[in-house]
Amino acid sequence: MKTITAYQCKTCQLVMFPGHLRCLNCSSRDFEEISAAEGGKLLTYTVVNELPWGIDERGRVLGIVEFDNGVKAMGLIKVEDPKIGMKLTAGWEPVRVIGGEKAYGLSFQPK
Amino acid sequence: MRPVIVSGVGMIPFERRDDDRLVDMLATAGIQAMDDAGLGERPVDAVYVGNMASGLFNHQVSVASALVDKLSLLPAAAERIENGPASGGSAIKNGFLAVASGYHDVVLVVGGEKMREVIGPRATDIVACMTHPEAEYIYGVTLPAMAGMFARLYMEKYGITRKHLAMVSIKNQENGLLNPYAHIHMKITMEGILTHPQAFINNPVVADPLHLYDCCPVSDGAAAVLLTSAEVAEELKKPGVRIAGVGQATDTHTLQERSDPTDLKAVTLASEKAFAMAGIQPKDIDVAELHDAFTILEIAESEHAGFFKKGEGAKAVESGATRIGGKLPVNPSGGLKARGHPVGATGVAQVVELTWQLRGEAGERQVKNAANGFSLNFGGFGNNVLAFVLRRDK
Repeated sequence: MKTITAYQCKTCQLVMFPGHLRCLNCSSRDFEEISAAEGGKLLTYTVVNELPWGIDERGRVLGIVEFDNGVKAMGLIKVEDPKIGMKLTAGWEPVRVIGGEKAYGLSFQPK
Repeated sequence: MRPVIVSGVGMIPFERRDDDRLVDMLATAGIQAMDDAGLGERPVDAVYVGNMASGLFNHQVSVASALVDKLSLLPAAAERIENGPASGGSAIKNGFLAVASGYHDVVLVVGGEKMREVIGPRATDIVACMTHPEAEYIYGVTLPAMAGMFARLYMEKYGITRKHLAMVSIKNQENGLLNPYAHIHMKITMEGILTHPQAFINNPVVADPLHLYDCCPVSDGAAAVLLTSAEVAEELKKPGVRIAGVGQATDTHTLQERSDPTDLKAVTLASEKAFAMAGIQPKDIDVAELHDAFTILEIAESEHAGFFKKGEGAKAVESGATRIGGKLPVNPSGGLKARGHPVGATGVAQVVELTWQLRGEAGERQVKNAANGFSLNFGGFGNNVLAFVLRRDK
């Protein structure tokens, strides 16, 4: 399944997403591309009622997930009653229409 | 570096200014700062404009060039400085460096933004453009949403309740009632925004746990400072307020890449630099203007800047220590919550307020005998922060 590509520093092993040209920790420029794991745990979230222009909905839940392989990323949280620490499985779907084109990103369901 | 003096300040009331244009707003605040300094016919060497997004909000760019023309300050150097919601602070820092280095003697710094030219959801989208395009923006994240995710963690870690947040809001709205330049002049009560069973009608969720009264309004406004060398300041004969310390620091673009997302490292580092340069400590500060775009930030910044220990900021609010008349008055201007937050104007408006406070010209909201002031301008979601220490010359 499609997911995000993260980067692991070959020198200090730090996992980064999004990518940098130099490691945040050790300034190395050597990275290995890694895919996010299938799932992870919810670190924090918010229920957004006032969304920006172009997203015609209320109550969109956004959160940050730490995948089982250490990648951390934001995504849509498709859970009725989210709780910090809960286990989630990642999906990939259109998350916003920008300039008439669908932008794809992460969405998370309860495991 | 040579001393840099705030020789003049100017500001237009922050509000919805449908009949005004951005460059006219900048010009009005700018000319007030020049007149406040008694600059007369003396030339201005350079103009720095703090502005985040005139191209998106107002369909106009090169606003610094337009401003020097409007004010007939030709052939002064002119630039627009952009650093998101800390554009104003960055413009002041650049003006400070120009004078401190000896390159310029007289620099006009104006911060301004006209955000109400677009409808609310458009403004929300334009402000969200500062988030990471692929890792954040595509999900529809907003700045209140970033603050909501931060608040959930910070409140849990330090036992902060919605009542603490409401206390910040009520304090700043009360202060705003005393500030003729503030956008929102309205007394609010704990019952009206929190404890009444129907309080949610007045105070709905924006990005939970943050509600409407935890968030700053969307405002139009401009503020200006005239920075000069000590030699020029002596000729102008204004009460001396100097920029004694300047600090700036950055942090990761995204919240998720911070090893501890509740640690606002850039706030700590920028504040430490400003205090070290001024040669004083947080306990020496008499009045502070913090960047309360969201109520949680006033509490978190008051701790990260070194005024209170981690976890003690909410207690300080509860005890009244941060009210006017308390041990450390925070946001006597009403802060971003009541004064408003025209993004590019805020960092300059904070320094204008401190200058009034240190000169003893702050009217009903005057902090008694204020000699040292501190301001913090929080860019991005804490990824580019400026701190200033201002001092009244004896």
